[in-house]
Amino acid sequence: MASVEKRLSDLLGARRVLTAPDALLAWECDGFTVHKARPRAVVLPESTAEVQAVVRVLHGERVPFVPRGAGTCLSGGPTAGPDAVVIDLARMKQVLRVDAEDLFAVVQPGVVNVELTAAVRHLGLHYAPDPSSQTVCTIGGNLAENSGGPHCFKYGMTQDHVLDAVVVLPDGEIARLGDAGGPRPPGVLDLLGVFCGSEGTFGIATEITVRLCRDQQAVRTLLASFASMADACRAVSAIVHKGLVPAALEILDRATIQAVEASVYRAGYPSDAAAVLLVELDGPPDVIAEEADEVRAAFAAHGALRSEEATDAAERKRLWKGRKGAFGAMGRLSTDLYVLDGVVPRSALERALDGIAAIGARHGVTITNVFHAGDGNLHPNIPFDGRDAAETARVVAAGREILQLCVDLGGSISGEHGVGAEKLDHFGMMYGAADRDVMARVRAAFDPHGRCNPGKALPSRGACAEPAKWPQMVARVLDAERPQ
Amino acid sequence: MSAFAPRSAAELADWLAARPGRVRLVGSGSRAARVGAPAADVHEVRLAGIATIDRLDAADQTCSVDCGLPRAELDAALQPHGLELPCPGGGTIGGLFAADPLGAAAHGGQSPRSLLLGVEGLLADGTAFRSGARVVKSVAGFDVHKLLVGSEGRLYAATRLHLRLKPRPRAEAWFCRDGLSDADALAAFARLRAEPVGPAAVQLRRDRHGCALVGRIAGRAAFVRGQLAQHGLAEAACAWTDHLAADAPGEVVAGLARFTAVAGLCAAVPAAATLLWHGGGRFEAALPDAAASDALLAAAAALGVHARVVATTHPARRDRGSPIDPGATRLAAALRTALDPHGIFV
Repeated sequence: MASVEKRLSDLLGARRVLTAPDALLAWECDGFTVHKARPRAVVLPESTAEVQAVVRVLHGERVPFVPRGAGTCLSGGPTAGPDAVVIDLARMKQVLRVDAEDLFAVVQPGVVNVELTAAVRHLGLHYAPDPSSQTVCTIGGNLAENSGGPHCFKYGMTQDHVLDAVVVLPDGEIARLGDAGGPRPPGVLDLLGVFCGSEGTFGIATEITVRLCRDQQAVRTLLASFASMADACRAVSAIVHKGLVPAALEILDRATIQAVEASVYRAGYPSDAAAVLLVELDGPPDVIAEEADEVRAAFAAHGALRSEEATDAAERKRLWKGRKGAFGAMGRLSTDLYVLDGVVPRSALERALDGIAAIGARHGVTITNVFHAGDGNLHPNIPFDGRDAAETARVVAAGREILQLCVDLGGSISGEHGVGAEKLDHFGMMYGAADRDVMARVRAAFDPHGRCNPGKALPSRGACAEPAKWPQMVARVLDAERPQ
Repeated sequence: MSAFAPRSAAELADWLAARPGRVRLVGSGSRAARVGAPAADVHEVRLAGIATIDRLDAADQTCSVDCGLPRAELDAALQPHGLELPCPGGGTIGGLFAADPLGAAAHGGQSPRSLLLGVEGLLADGTAFRSGARVVKSVAGFDVHKLLVGSEGRLYAATRLHLRLKPRPRAEAWFCRDGLSDADALAAFARLRAEPVGPAAVQLRRDRHGCALVGRIAGRAAFVRGQLAQHGLAEAACAWTDHLAADAPGEVVAGLARFTAVAGLCAAVPAAATLLWHGGGRFEAALPDAAASDALLAAAAALGVHARVVATTHPARRDRGSPIDPGATRLAAALRTALDPHGIFV
């Protein structure tokens, strides 16, 4: 019998089936670089039919497989083990249809998020979800991860913008989940709702219908600096309490500001501030003029050191440059960066940030914060030297305590990065065995044999009580890199 | 048929664990006509007694409520806090989310699926579980709670729901423009839809008297006034209609239609019948008899519109309509088997 690789080459051609060890290097991890594993092979299909044919071969041969978009995931979701084949969807990047009257687009999964908006901009339309990686990440990956972004406070996450998907199920059969008219026709279960955010474990979406939004008439972007993080958080609460729904409410702390200002992402943020708050309003000009007045009043009421407003598109771009480049700027601080992702109720932001500072002090690690304040979605960043095992262990311990703090405050271990491989060991902070078992039943309905992205998103039975696997991954990486 | 009315989730869990046989979950019973009468051996579980507001966090704009809480009670509790649950529909909160009969009130608006943050639920054997979170953003774990929406109580019993709330607008105005031709109503509708900030709710109603456009404009006072003036609309009492009813031998057909298909639907519905299209995409048509329903189902198929019979006096005709994708049908069956392997919830 022909090998799996031979059969895949017969389907796609040898150039679209990669098996050479060097060629596989680019697929050994995603943005969660601590967890690395080289896959058995990588295939590059270009159509639903090709994905289906590949999956049928793999299903028949009982070979696990991992769908992958641009690999920008930060939780190790699309990292495949050595026995698995990566189905890379980057070549499926066609915008198949744009309907400006009914306000939807049909795209292949490899379309880059920002390129979809570029494709409909001339129609006065855009695609709303805007994860920070939007210049690189793909719509298929966004669907798998239920991606958010700075503007999801007002506009919602990917789940709120996906109407329909053609999915190749793990056994190679095809299902249509939704309708261009809406995600759930009457009398039908919300299959698309549960598929979205399943981290590539329920199947592979090959045609995705997304809602398009009309561009707003005007945008106003304001920035205020504060002498304390508490003041910045209280200003956020005041803005929300007024009933305002800004398009974005983002906070950067002092260490992040300083990192940004010392980097190529320099945005002119005041380096002496303990925090800056970036607020974006969009809508009719008269409406957001009133709202901007109320935002400035909230700034003043909570002791803003100073505030400014972008006067044109270039200014707006500058104010956002620092926020969007914050993670990149962190790269200057150390060789490695642990980007955490947790959620707390917005009213608990102050307590959470105090707790995070205490955790950092206790473990002797530096923690910086940049976060989606409107959603209570924190991104504590811990710069560290991954070559230092002791420091790495402290970082891991601090990260775990931070996520436990989020849960203790009534929040979640992930707001947008997913569980992937990274947070399997944290799953038990939120869910018990019965919760896990119900989720496992749902997964088994989509993938009875567990071959689609195995070992991700959901811990194995009993794993909720296991010690963290993440430090073991770190240790493994360190062992591999240590001179023999 | 026997009835059981638990006062708490724990009481329901114990009752289910005793394996009572097949069960139908009922909220206030407001949609009984749509689901039809259960078989004689089915126990009816009335959830209206599990009805407290567990948590209302105005600062975070979230709440946790029991499944049997009447929608009207939640609305009343939210009002002093300047908050609202921004989706249409009545009955109990559990029933509203389990049936999701209306979707969103306007294109891109909030629907039950976008407002449901998590659930506490019971499987048919009484096993308690949780899905989702109480915060407005969480991607930890699979969204089993999303499967509640539209499940009509046939996967699990959601005993507590965690919901996202929104601030009430500073001002709002309902309008009703009636006596329009189909073409004029659709043109007016199209102009409203073209606004970057469209109506918070909008529906088109076509009956023997002609077409009417009903909606709600919300926002700041000046914006509301400006939109009314710009579109030649006068403020009016709320004339929103959730559902249509049909007297025997009439039937109600419901479905999902894109805006560009509505003109075709108008043409396919007899002038003596009534068509209701919500701006979020759901529609209902009250038709005089089964033949008219079948004619509309055929027209809907030609338009690429999903439609099915949802109210009828003929049990065999219930759910007749657009074929569901075979793959989706298979998945739905697998999910039912996975979560309720003995088919307890009917």
